[in-house]
Amino acid sequence: MTDGDRFPPGTRVRTFPHDPPHHTRLPRYARGKRGVVVEPEGPAELADVSAQGRGDAPVEQIYAVRFAARDLWGEGDHHVVLDLWESYLEEDPDRDR
Amino acid sequence: MTGEHLDATIARRVRRLETLLEEKGLITGERVDEAIDAFLASSSPANGARVVARAWTDEAYRSRLLADGTAAVRELGYMEGSYQRLRVVENTADTHNVIVCTLCSCYPLRLLGPSPSWYKSEAYRSRVVREPRSVLREFGLELPGTVDITVWDSSAESRYMVLPRRPEGTEGLTEEELAALVTRNALIGTATV
Amino acid sequence: MARINDVGGTQGFGAIDTADDTEPFHADWEARVVGLFNTLRAQGLFNTNEFRDAIESMPPAEYLAASYYERWFTAIVALLETKGVLEPGELDD
Repeated sequence: MTDGDRFPPGTRVRTFPHDPPHHTRLPRYARGKRGVVVEPEGPAELADVSAQGRGDAPVEQIYAVRFAARDLWGEGDHHVVLDLWESYLEEDPDRDR
Repeated sequence: MTGEHLDATIARRVRRLETLLEEKGLITGERVDEAIDAFLASSSPANGARVVARAWTDEAYRSRLLADGTAAVRELGYMEGSYQRLRVVENTADTHNVIVCTLCSCYPLRLLGPSPSWYKSEAYRSRVVREPRSVLREFGLELPGTVDITVWDSSAESRYMVLPRRPEGTEGLTEEELAALVTRNALIGTATV
Repeated sequence: MARINDVGGTQGFGAIDTADDTEPFHADWEARVVGLFNTLRAQGLFNTNEFRDAIESMPPAEYLAASYYERWFTAIVALLETKGVLEPGELDD
């Protein structure tokens, strides 16, 4: 899916707690964390696959996702926004809590 | 090994690589010269400053810039042919934005020129996402506790530039005079104007 | 496991040297490295993600000891060896 409509702005998402043995653009500090979609940023080849020199990297939507410092570090009053490929994200399973 | 010695060693290795690649017919010295010239010619913080001054003086342009940074800076002739997107984030009385790339050194090169050494340092990259207020204080910027800080960690294909607040008392200045007030650090978010 | 480049939130790197250096390069070889990088990438020898991967794959102690453009140079050489453009060790002959 590349049209940017899977996670509309405001969607509560969670990053996968993945730890791949290769290049990735999901920093360790934001793995398995809850955030809110700011908006889609447009499609691009998935860096994880492209970095392996493969010509078959899937094109995915990238989303700007906003995280509260408290959810990343347990403290802090600021926010951090990251641009994350769709396959790094799932809808927050506890979004209604 | 002294720093100077180390520098001479790597300079020799770089020359050796260039020679090997020329012998293999992969590059020419002229092509490398051109690539360096292109890198330096298309990018300068004066570009970003000019964009900011336009946004300060033209409300319709400001709206376009915040809605679609890439398209708006292309109106002024910047980022032609770039595959990257530009997002401009606006400072207000209650919000302050600052830019980083924790994974490498992504930076809006076309609008800000080559990045300062500190931007590429582990000290800045490790700390600004964790303790932005302390980091900004090291740059001499003390923000009131009521100001929300957002740190933009450039982890994909978008590049970020801060639209600083226009300082008070600058109503009479021309666009050019306004652009001259805008520093590189203000465009990254480690200073205000 | 996370790589050495992934430093967001890591403790111990100390104070920031906030000097506003405006020189894009501090030595001629740094400019040559950037020129080589842009030329080789434009020729399709590698893409930006492969280049980042090569930098991140440096042993952590080497990564931290290397200057910014030393990392670039190390990554370019590693990629050229991986792609068979350079024989391993050819640069040292």
